[in-house]
Amino acid sequence: MRPAIAVVVLAALAALPEWATNQYDIHLATLIGVYWVLIAGLNLVVGYSGQLSIGHVGLLAIGAYAYAILAGTYDWPPYVAMLAAGGVGGVCGLLLGLTSLRLPGFYFAMATLAFSLIVSELSLALGDLTGGGIGLPVPGFPPPAASPAGFYWLVLIVASLITLLTWNVARGMWGRALLAVRDSPVAAAGAGISIFRSKLTVFVFSSITAGIGGALFAALQSYITPETFAFDIGLFFFVCIIIGGRGSIVGPLLGTVVLTALPEAVAPLARLGNFFYGLLLLVVVLLLPEGIGPLIAGLLARFTRRSKPLSHVVQPDLDRLRAALAQARP
Amino acid sequence: MSLLQAVMVSKHFGGVRALDEVTLTLAPGEVHGLIGPNGSGKTTLLNMLSGYYAPDGGQIVLDGEAVTALSVRQRARMGLARTFQKPRLLGDLGVLDNAMVGAWRDAPGSFVASALVLPFVRRKESELRARARELVLGVGLGHAMDRPVSLLEHAEQRFLEIARALASRPRFLLLDEPAGGLTAAEIGHLEAVISTIRDAGIGVLLVEHHTDFVFRLCSSVTTLDRGTVIAQGSPAAVRSDPEVNRVYLGA
Repeated sequence: MRPAIAVVVLAALAALPEWATNQYDIHLATLIGVYWVLIAGLNLVVGYSGQLSIGHVGLLAIGAYAYAILAGTYDWPPYVAMLAAGGVGGVCGLLLGLTSLRLPGFYFAMATLAFSLIVSELSLALGDLTGGGIGLPVPGFPPPAASPAGFYWLVLIVASLITLLTWNVARGMWGRALLAVRDSPVAAAGAGISIFRSKLTVFVFSSITAGIGGALFAALQSYITPETFAFDIGLFFFVCIIIGGRGSIVGPLLGTVVLTALPEAVAPLARLGNFFYGLLLLVVVLLLPEGIGPLIAGLLARFTRRSKPLSHVVQPDLDRLRAALAQARP
Repeated sequence: MSLLQAVMVSKHFGGVRALDEVTLTLAPGEVHGLIGPNGSGKTTLLNMLSGYYAPDGGQIVLDGEAVTALSVRQRARMGLARTFQKPRLLGDLGVLDNAMVGAWRDAPGSFVASALVLPFVRRKESELRARARELVLGVGLGHAMDRPVSLLEHAEQRFLEIARALASRPRFLLLDEPAGGLTAAEIGHLEAVISTIRDAGIGVLLVEHHTDFVFRLCSSVTTLDRGTVIAQGSPAAVRSDPEVNRVYLGA
């Protein structure tokens, strides 16, 4: 994406509280931003390194409780508590990743599912810390982020920064390495890429963003209970990425916006709930297995593509090859 | 002296003896041919040299040190590169990006620095891009530089695999049937490319069925049959070996 486009989009998003017609729109936009903080990181895991984590809701819950306990029970400054929530998420993600990332795809998915169920049970069982089934009130952020619009801007800033980080990763050597890990582990190893280390690195990164997302989520909800973190939210994160398209950032971002906003905007869909997600997933998997991201890229390419037939003639330039080999000595 | 060696290497798959005490030495600046009938163990040997299989007996030696216990990744970082019989490219990426994957060895490994695009990351990134671009142009894919790999024809994929392997600055390059599916003209280009690679001081192991091509290009040739070496030496000697003619060349 051109930086200019990003600036225009950001400016439009920043102005949202000015043109939003009611408080609920701001709440919804904030919720999308909070989800995206988590999904942007998870996207590197699912969309780029190809690891099917369906249990990130467990990390979201850990971040949320860490923030609620530190900022509430222990009166830490909210911003410090938010960063600490990211740290706690990262440590938990490291432990989960170390033990489960060597498992083949399906078993890894089951391990993350089990993890989110364990977190859910623990949040019930550790009543002294978490309030058990009754839950915990969550303190908000101090002004200027205390008002709905202020908090929205805070979320927008955090989400933009995390998007920028994942964007940098995705378009650099790390992004290429992650796609190699996803699509051809054999070729990745042949290029000297450590498959486990790269998976673990992005998994820990995604756990940190999930922890931060959890803190923002808790502050937005202002009261959390174990039921806030139902398993289907974890599935929802995963579905946003699959519908958006693997190996894309814009696609999953659109997926998150659409899947969060559509059921709210169209009242009958909200009643259908999970049925709607299931139906949409089925349609995408059957009709657009690559997701909506590549579909949009394909449409753009159709407008810009030259009609010239493609040449396939291999014509080595040996002087150039000689120079290149001399330049890159072993 | 820098050498890549298989020393008395054996490998069994179940009851099948895929390789039996095979010894082979690859020196820098030479092209060593590895020929033999299908199933004679050529690719198995290549997989053990690059580390995908662990031998049941014998050693893989690089620069006089056993690397048998080292992983594919560690050996790649020591200067071993390879291509695959069936090209393994990344369909979501373009030609240049695929070639850049090979340069991972020299990429800034720090995830945090990459996420922040620190100045040295940016510098390294453009350096590696320039290197990959020159290699892609060098092997003859300049016309397809920014094309998605999914739009490449088979021969182009083969040359791109070579460019990707070269992007890792290898000392030894293992090619698994690079001429498979190529036209005569493309095999001519391949020969010129491999000669250039050899002249740059890289040791090339050439697993191949096009025996004319092998005998033209290689300074030494090893012939395998059912996991054992039946002839090893100069192309002329191997070509006239009665056993090689009986089991493979079919005089």
